[in-house]
Amino acid sequence: MSCASGPGGGLRHPLRCQEPWDEECEKEAACVIMCASVKYNIRGPALIPRMKTKHRIYYITLFSIVLLGLIATGMFQFWPHSIESSNDWNVEKRSVRDVPVVRLPADSPIPERGDLSCRMHTCFDVYRCGFNPKNKIKVYIYALKKYVDDFGIPVSNTISREYNELLTAISDSDYYTDDINRACLFVPSIDVLNQNTLRIKETAQALAQLSRWDRGTNHLLFNMLPGGPPDYNTALDVPRDRALLAGGGFSTWTYRQGYDVSIPVYSPLSAAVDLPEKGPGPRRYFLMSSQVGLHPEYREDLEALQVKHGESVLVLDKCTNLSEGVLSVRKRCHKHQVFDYPQVLQEATFCVVLRGARLGQAMLSDVLQAGCVPVVIADSYILPFSEVLDWKRASVVVPEEKMSDMYSILQSIPQRQIEEMQRQARWFWEAYFQSIKAIALATLQIINDRIYPYAAISYEEWNDPPAVKWGSVSNPLFLPLIPPQSQGFTAIVLTYDRVESLFRVITEVSKVPSLSKLLVVWNNQNKNPPEDSLWPKIRVPLKVVRTAENKLSNRFFPYDEIETEAVLAIDDDIIMLTSDELQFGYEVWREFPDRLVGYPGRLHLWDHEMNKWKYESEWTNEVSMVLTGAAFYHKYFNYLYTYKMPGDIKNWVDAHMNCEDIAMNFLVANVTGKAVIKVTPRKKFKCPECTAIDGLSLDQTHMVERSECINKFASVFGTMPLKVVEHRADPVLYKDDFPEKLKSFPNIGSL
Amino acid sequence: MQSWRRRKSLWLALSASWLLLVLLGGFSLLRLALPPRPRPGAPQGWPRWLDAELLQSFSQAGELPEDAASPQAPHGDSCNWGACFDTSKCRGNGLKVFVYPASGPISETHHRILASIEGSRFHTFSPAGACLLLLLSLDAQTGECNSMPLQWNRGRNHLVLRLHPAPCPKTFQLGQAMVAEASPTVDSFRPGFDVALPFLPEAHPLRGGAPGQLQQHSPQPGIALLALEEERGGWRTADTGSSACPWDARCEQDPGPGQTQRGETLPNATFCLISGHRPEAASRFLQALQAGCIPVLLSPRWELPFSEVIDWTKAAIVADERLPLQVLAALQEMSPARVLALRQQTQFLWDAYFSSVEKVIHTTLEVIQDRIFGPSAHPSLLWNSPPGALLALSTFSTSPQDFPFYHLQQGSRPEGRFSALIWVGPPGQPPLKLIQAVAGSQHCAQILVLWSNERPLPSSWPETAMPLTVIDGHRKVSDRFFPYSTIRTDAILSLDARSSLSTSEVDFAFVVWQSFPERMVGFLTSSHFWDEAHGGWGYTAERTNEFSMVLTTAAFYHRYYHTLFTHSLPKALRTLADEAPTCVDVLMNFLVAAVTKLPPIKVPYGKQCPDAAPLASGGPGPRPKPQAPAPDCVNQIAAAFGHMPLLSSRLRLDPVLFKDPVSVQRKKYRSLEKP
Repeated sequence: MSCASGPGGGLRHPLRCQEPWDEECEKEAACVIMCASVKYNIRGPALIPRMKTKHRIYYITLFSIVLLGLIATGMFQFWPHSIESSNDWNVEKRSVRDVPVVRLPADSPIPERGDLSCRMHTCFDVYRCGFNPKNKIKVYIYALKKYVDDFGIPVSNTISREYNELLTAISDSDYYTDDINRACLFVPSIDVLNQNTLRIKETAQALAQLSRWDRGTNHLLFNMLPGGPPDYNTALDVPRDRALLAGGGFSTWTYRQGYDVSIPVYSPLSAAVDLPEKGPGPRRYFLMSSQVGLHPEYREDLEALQVKHGESVLVLDKCTNLSEGVLSVRKRCHKHQVFDYPQVLQEATFCVVLRGARLGQAMLSDVLQAGCVPVVIADSYILPFSEVLDWKRASVVVPEEKMSDMYSILQSIPQRQIEEMQRQARWFWEAYFQSIKAIALATLQIINDRIYPYAAISYEEWNDPPAVKWGSVSNPLFLPLIPPQSQGFTAIVLTYDRVESLFRVITEVSKVPSLSKLLVVWNNQNKNPPEDSLWPKIRVPLKVVRTAENKLSNRFFPYDEIETEAVLAIDDDIIMLTSDELQFGYEVWREFPDRLVGYPGRLHLWDHEMNKWKYESEWTNEVSMVLTGAAFYHKYFNYLYTYKMPGDIKNWVDAHMNCEDIAMNFLVANVTGKAVIKVTPRKKFKCPECTAIDGLSLDQTHMVERSECINKFASVFGTMPLKVVEHRADPVLYKDDFPEKLKSFPNIGSL
Repeated sequence: MQSWRRRKSLWLALSASWLLLVLLGGFSLLRLALPPRPRPGAPQGWPRWLDAELLQSFSQAGELPEDAASPQAPHGDSCNWGACFDTSKCRGNGLKVFVYPASGPISETHHRILASIEGSRFHTFSPAGACLLLLLSLDAQTGECNSMPLQWNRGRNHLVLRLHPAPCPKTFQLGQAMVAEASPTVDSFRPGFDVALPFLPEAHPLRGGAPGQLQQHSPQPGIALLALEEERGGWRTADTGSSACPWDARCEQDPGPGQTQRGETLPNATFCLISGHRPEAASRFLQALQAGCIPVLLSPRWELPFSEVIDWTKAAIVADERLPLQVLAALQEMSPARVLALRQQTQFLWDAYFSSVEKVIHTTLEVIQDRIFGPSAHPSLLWNSPPGALLALSTFSTSPQDFPFYHLQQGSRPEGRFSALIWVGPPGQPPLKLIQAVAGSQHCAQILVLWSNERPLPSSWPETAMPLTVIDGHRKVSDRFFPYSTIRTDAILSLDARSSLSTSEVDFAFVVWQSFPERMVGFLTSSHFWDEAHGGWGYTAERTNEFSMVLTTAAFYHRYYHTLFTHSLPKALRTLADEAPTCVDVLMNFLVAAVTKLPPIKVPYGKQCPDAAPLASGGPGPRPKPQAPAPDCVNQIAAAFGHMPLLSSRLRLDPVLFKDPVSVQRKKYRSLEKP
């Protein structure tokens, strides 16, 4: 549903002290004490002149010491220190250097190598993930240790900045648990992000001695730079048995589909450089390569492209003659021209991401950040999060063999699609590449979705940028389907005490051939419905539902008694509709089962003078609402009205005893994106709007109220979902020069 | 005395300050000295290291780009798309498929499948010009197995299509050939290279196929929640009131009174539980899909059909068989919105890709074509929402907004302008009045005249503000629906030179079309009916209470249908239309109905009297009286489609105040009502 949350949803009272460690609170307290001591200061010296000089000096000194001490204490207590401590009240404050040291004997066990046949249903122990009402896995993080071998030489760097960030992100998330017995997934604190910084065998031994290791079952390792020279394996070389691997740079040969998770290689430049978003559209260079350390063969291919296509292709390389102090990582050169990296990426439409020694490149992240469409040339590379992300929308994958054709392949892509890809690339970066936290949470979400597939996040939620999500409508009744006529419809009559009129309505409606059941919603708690014998005898079942409270929303409750999909909501005073009109209305609903199909048509208009919406019941050429005093609709909308109405609309309607029909129109239009269908020319109803004997004044207040409703609902929905149309539905031969008796619905046409 | 009092108060003040100092200072000192104890109950998170800022990055600056490169593709022992398929042969004319002729006598099915591929736009007769060589391995049940074909070339660019699981021993090494087979096991399946097919029953219809069973969007009240697939075939509906896990043998409780439906009947339940172990269960999967029973797959060991392109999370639930109670609870608590969406998706997928053998084969080829197209492949939306990728051609566009089907999902609106396309057949009078009427519409963007008769082009055309293009040449009737590049708007108003329309009719019809951009909006109608006497379909242009076709001599529709008409219809059908020109209307209506699964829309056509008679002298009448095409035409087209897609409508969309006894001044489309 594309509706906005109501205004003021997230307001906080900034100065209300609720928590003892609230920062604001403490600042105020500090001020009070300081002010008090200042007063002291003023009163104190007034006593002093009457004393002896010796004493006086003594007292002054004493006072100054006390005062200074007080001020110092106050400062110390409440100044910067307090801000820090108020946030981390409960968190241990230690240095990484002080973590416990674990000595690994040389002969301690080593896990098996990774099992390539692992799948979730073979290697993953779901029993640990047990029943969970929130459908969220619980993740435990092992405490940080420093591992040394027999000679006291460390196995690896204790922890890198990124891995610390990653574990912090997990610990701050909803997934985290500190109870090892409740955990479903275990994350070792042993940092294996970069294989080059660790000793493989010893790291494996360190993994094996984790308290719940159990062949690595349900353990998740994060690795971004796998393999090492000379052959650079595409997955972490550390033996890890059944552990899941979230790895950057998997190839099809090492990736266990549905078990491992392919993650991006984080680019530290993301944090260092702020590249403001650059809108989509043509850029200075069509194609750019900014990679350094490319194999000469690739570089030759790229330079050949540059020669062939001239200005539109730019191939950059490392700078050779940079002055001291300039970071070579942040510069790229073409001949003698020096460019800033990664800023230069924003100048190109397409950016080549070639396989280096490793398949995964941190540069992919820089390219996406720049809104440049990556051209991925790395055969068999499993793109990051490819299990859920649709890379076709944000990148072009070119086989290595076809590198020389790259330019013509890219040129064949229409400009509109390119712009779409540019937008998508930037959105992928913002959502899944930007920070270590984003990478960690996306990884856990993917694993979570495998374990609770029935609560999984949809393709659209993963892939659609917020702007698309906002604008798009997914009709809940999207399947084109004409329900069989035999099903019929259920008529629901809401009534209070107009028994006579009600009985007439029942009698009239019961003449409609397709009626299959009649439901009377008795909304009067003070009076019992008439005895059974008094009700009109009709050919279909008639049920009376008594409500607990006189509320308008009772009309839209999804009663169990409704067995048909089609519902006819009808007021207890709509007696003028003929059987032909109602039957035809039902036929029209069958052709438009996802719409409100009704008789009284209304319009909303923009009032330019008042700058707000206005309700219109004049006979105009347009329609945007049909009143539910007489309308067919799908019973699913009853469910939506009762349980999914945005904001406080439902309560508001019940409190004001008005506008439930407008609310229904808003709801259906918002969720389906479609207009209503007004059927037949009928315009005069003994409608709720004309109940007053002297209509005029009452009528005007009524119109004001109805207009208020439209404005209120539009603000709750955050948009105006109603659609205006200029047509109504009539029988095919309506008012045609054709014998009346041959027409299917002859009794139609009076106003 | 006084001084003592003073001193006393002084001392008091002093000691009070000291006390304060000691308290405050001591407290903070205490806090420094002792690490704070976590509050009980709060989870102890990952520590905030004091020296977190000093930690080193996992990759040292400069290390990233310095990777010494060795362009040595990581290699494995099996194939993937990049390594084993040569796309260079497919450049230019897209996917062209050569099918190996059968070596011996072949079955009827094999023969028809061959014919169906030969009739498709992918087929070529030359193995040299083909980019994909298709080896059909269909007649497994007859015990025949293919031998190695001639152009085998280690299987490069070959697709071995096995519709039924082959009892055939592998007579030759598959080498680099792709395999399309029913329900391949997860371990042998090469993602992105092989194609997973559905497990088709022996008697699966070749063409058309039975529609989905779902008659209504939401589950009927009182319908069973679960149906369980039985090992011996058939389904058993289970009562889920008990907390037992109904499919797990380890459960000791009786699963409650169940009802067993034997045989091939389709399950009638909201969810269908299907075991993931036995590959035979895969055939049940298709059954459930057709029945609109949401498949719940328990730890499937086989790849779901066309998983490369179909997002199965929208139509099925893959659950872990080890958590029966959780799955059961999740199914029971699933929101009506999700159930509704899943049910509808099963029907869409069944109808779009699985209901006939022909669809399965075409989907397979489309999947491979998408791989070849790379960036111009179908976006996921086109595969996963109606009408499906077989009917939304990616050669037309890759932007969903260009199609008439996805405006809602894209949050876009149909264009506010249309192009009038006027067909001038014999006798060849320039339709001056018509041009003026159409050009008078505020929504008209351009007028195209298809001059298609013996007469020379008139030298002068009426002066209008509208750009007017004349396309000359004697053309076939089917050329009326050719996707001319000169058509620049999404909406087309297709007209015959003999039609007569007023400007307000055109205006109103176009406004209606904007609400239904995927349908045809027309003025004159005809209908089909089942003729018991002849045992076939009949056609009538008489005015009746319902209609199923609108005449394309005056109708609005989306430009995309020209592409679809020209590029997706089998050649035989277009030839039929050329030979019997009146069939072309029927054919277009069939096509649109097959895509939308909805009837067309009729708008009022005011002129009952012949005041707008064309200048023609030899015309058949004042306005084109819809001639009844030979009834054979409907039957032939229906046979080619394999089913009858046409649907009837009983309504006409009129202006809101149409013919109401109110002041004409109020009405926007006044002239629509003039006698």
